[in-house]
Formats: sequence, structure tokens, C-alpha cells
Amino acid sequence: MGNAAANAPIRLLVAQSLSTIARERTVALLALLFLVLVVVAAYLGWSATSTVNAIYLRSVDYMTAQGQTIPSNPVLDTSPLALLRNMATYVSLIGALAAIVVGHQLIASDRKAGTMPLLGTRPMRGIDLGTAKALALVIAIAALVAFAAFINTATFLVLPEFRLDGAGWTKLAAFYATSGLYLLVFGFLGMWFGAAAKSETVGLLIPVTVWLTLTFVLPQITSNINPVAALNPVSALADAPASAFFQVTGWALGPFSLAEAYRVISAQLLDFMPPTYVDRAAIPAAASLLIAAAGVGTIATRAVARMDMTKGDYDA
Amino acid sequence: MNTYVVETRQLTKRYGEHAAVKNLSLNVERGEVFGFLGHNGAGKTTTIHMLTTLLKPTSGTALVCGKSVTEQSLEARRHIGYVPENVRLYDTMTARANLLFFARLSGVEYPDRRIDETLDFLECRDLAPRLVGSFSKGLRQRIGLAQAILHRPDVLFLDEPTSGLDPMGIKTLRDLIVRLNREFGTTIFMNTHLISEISRTCTSIGVLNQGELVFRDTIEKVTERYGSESSLEELYLSVTPVQAKGAA
Repeated sequence: MGNAAANAPIRLLVAQSLSTIARERTVALLALLFLVLVVVAAYLGWSATSTVNAIYLRSVDYMTAQGQTIPSNPVLDTSPLALLRNMATYVSLIGALAAIVVGHQLIASDRKAGTMPLLGTRPMRGIDLGTAKALALVIAIAALVAFAAFINTATFLVLPEFRLDGAGWTKLAAFYATSGLYLLVFGFLGMWFGAAAKSETVGLLIPVTVWLTLTFVLPQITSNINPVAALNPVSALADAPASAFFQVTGWALGPFSLAEAYRVISAQLLDFMPPTYVDRAAIPAAASLLIAAAGVGTIATRAVARMDMTKGDYDA
Repeated sequence: MNTYVVETRQLTKRYGEHAAVKNLSLNVERGEVFGFLGHNGAGKTTTIHMLTTLLKPTSGTALVCGKSVTEQSLEARRHIGYVPENVRLYDTMTARANLLFFARLSGVEYPDRRIDETLDFLECRDLAPRLVGSFSKGLRQRIGLAQAILHRPDVLFLDEPTSGLDPMGIKTLRDLIVRLNREFGTTIFMNTHLISEISRTCTSIGVLNQGELVFRDTIEKVTERYGSESSLEELYLSVTPVQAKGAA
């Protein structure tokens, strides 16, 4: 009973925060764009596979008529999970941006509404507000990822030539868990600077700059992956040159290169990892993501808890 | 039994070298309508922010209904209602949805019933289904007052409540404040720089000048001693010399 009463403000704030950001047009547009891209990724995977399969079947007819030996179907030589490799790019690009905007708006919506002083005089602790905003972010990201998972699961169920076994479904679930974790890092970044920045523009600009750095700059330093290659799920996993420079940067900066860490895990889970790829980072990619999500999440929650509640709005 | 609803001792707030409020020692009794007078930048809002637990004092103590605003801030907040100078609510929500949210956050047991009672008291039940974003300043101020009294606080802090209102809005709000004090027994702590507001609404007055309390008395005694509203103005100017020079 005591706990229920103590959690009441958190539950209320979570519900209020979710209902407020659901009305934000920017959030809705970015979330919609992400979900459309998920559908596109599923369609592209299905379309490419169907085309290859159709060509193979026609070739089989021809080769049978010619009395030639029939090679194996290349579609069946590829893991069905690799159909979704474009998802890894969409999550790290548009998904991460959507997460930043969601995290930012969770705080900005209250600051812009000017209700901070009214919230600050209610019988609840600052950490309740921080926890509620963090929970709201987790729920919003989980909803995005759940929808993407639903689309992709449906894709697998309607393609009879691709049957996922138990291990396949487990890997797919792990891919979505990883994607959720990756998106949370950026959502928490948006939340942190939404709370800490004095102006709304700066609050949005800093996390976007961090995202650009993680997605395009760090991979260039750690693995010699140029920004265009970073947009491609497979070429983004090209082997780094075997020079001492990349050995050192890959080892030392690799743990901070979260976009790379996410691609490595995605490639492992969706079976499109090039066989020669070597991850040089000092700690495993999964550990990088976990530490980043926990660390940024803690900082963001504390930043919200310590916000200046006297201010009804951003500074002019 | 302690009858003071607000008690401060040597309350100070500094921003670097600048002291916004200096050694403020002030008592406000239960049931008073206290007018806190001072020119812009005198430290009135900073004082209200400290008393409503929004801002931590640099030194000194402040109790609201016997609860320390720093060590027992959650308990203190249960006794506090606050209406900021520019009341801001969630514009995309209706007045009722806004009030429901704040009532639940304040732990009101039957929030729907309490909202109806409060809106009836403020004579604005018709505003309940309307979006707050469509409200004029006066209507917004009224819903702002509603959110502050939903949990029937012992003390209501009002920061320049009539700022930006038209004469009709000022009169309506002033009448509501007086009714609130009489019918619910709510102590009112009101920041203002309008002498007319003090003389028509308040039972006691304090004058803050450059962060220091320079005058404190009941309106009854002030009127006895100084007479009319214009004399009250002279009193104000005499205890705030810097402002008087600036105005000259």
C-alpha cells in the first residue's frame, strides 16, 4: 500500500508524458517515418529474395531442359534473417533521430508548456519526475520497436520459403532487444539535454551532433569507414586497414563507437557478418551498448531530477 | 499551538556576490491575507520560490505550516498552493484534464468531485471542457487558481496575481481571493507592486526593498496611522528610498 502510494506520482507522470508526446507532430512524423522504413526494409528483403528465387526457378527449368546439373538455390544458402539487414541501417539513422526527438520532447513539452513550477510544488520528489520521464521513454521506444518487430514477424510468416527455427526466432528477438537498447541511448541523450540546456535549440542540437559523431565520425577514425559506407549495412563492416593507427584507435575508441557496436551485434544476430571481420574494440560490442545505455540513462534521470523548477519556460 | 503558517529566520538567497534576499525574518499568521510589496527586482519572487520549495535558500530557515521547506519539502508541499505570475498549463488539454492531472498529483481523493466543487466556487464550471490554449489571460488565471486550491492548501502563494489583467479581471480575481480566505480560511501570501491591491485585499503588509524587509504591520494599524490609500503610497515610497529616487 505504501509503495503504491509512493509510485502514484510516477504512474501519473508517465501517463501524462506519453499522452503529451503523442500529440507532438514532430514526434509523430519521425515515428511514422521510422515505421514506414521498417515496412520498406521488409518489402525490399522480400522483393530481392523473390526476384532471386524467380530467376533461379526459371534457370532450373532451362538447365533441366539442357540436361545440366542444377546448383543449389542461392536464396536457401542465405540466412532468412539477413533479409532484415537494412533494418540495422534504418535503426541507426532514422530510428536514432526519432529516439532523440522523443527523449527531448518528453522534457521540452513540459518546459514549453511552462508547467514546471506547478509540478515542482506538488508532493513528489525530483527523482520521481526523472524516473517517470525515463520510464515514459522506455515505453515509447518499446512501442516503436514492438511495431517494427510485428511487421518483420509478419513478413516471415507470409513468406513460406523462409522458415525460422527456434534459434532464428531467438536471434530475431535479441536483435530487437539490441535495437531498443541502442535507441534508448539516443533517447536518453535527448532527455538529458532537453533538461540541461537553457534553450530548446541547443537541447536538440547537442544530441544530434553526438549522433552524427557516433554514426559517421568515430567509425572513420576506428575502422576507416567513410560516411557513405557507414550507410550501408554490409560495407560498414569492411575490415579496417591493418595499420598500427587503426589497431590503436579501434581498440581504444571502439567501445565509444556505438553505431559500429550496434552494427556488429546486428550482423551477428541477423547472419550477415562478413567472415573475415574482426572486432578490435577493447570490450565486447554488447557491453559497450549496455554501459552506454545505463550510463546515459542515469545521467539523464538525474538531470531531470535536478532541473530548475522555478522556470516556466526556456530562456529567451 | 503555533499560529504561524509562514515563518522565516534570517532567510537569504545569494547568486554569487548578489544577495536577492537578505536575512529575511518574517511571520505570517493563519488566516491572514499578507501582501508582500516591493518594486521589481526587490526579491519578492525569490522569496516565494524559496517558500514554495522551488528554490533552495543559501542560508537561514523557512517553515510552512511548521514544515521546513528544505528538510521536509514533501510535507511542506502538501500545505502549499502556488499560482505563478504567468500561469501556464497544458494548452492542448482541456481545463478539466489539466485539473484532473494536478489534483491526482496532489493526492486529492475524489478528484472529479473536487474539480466540480472548485470550479463552482470560482464560478467557471463552463470552462471545464474547453481547451486551455483558447483561454484569455483572465480565464487562464482562474484555472491557475483552481489548480492551486484543488487540494485545499493551508496557504496560497500568489505571485503578482493581477499582472496583465484588465480592470474587470482584476476585480474578479481580487474578490475570489477574499472569498477564498473567508470561506476556506486559506492564508494568502501575495506578491504585488500595486498598492491599491494591498489596501483592498490584504489584512497585513510587508515591504521588501533590495532583498531586505523594511516594513511589516497590519493594514488596520497602517490605516490608523497613515489614513488613506494615497498615504499608503507615501509610506511605501518612504521605506523604499532607492525606488523613490529611481522614480523621481
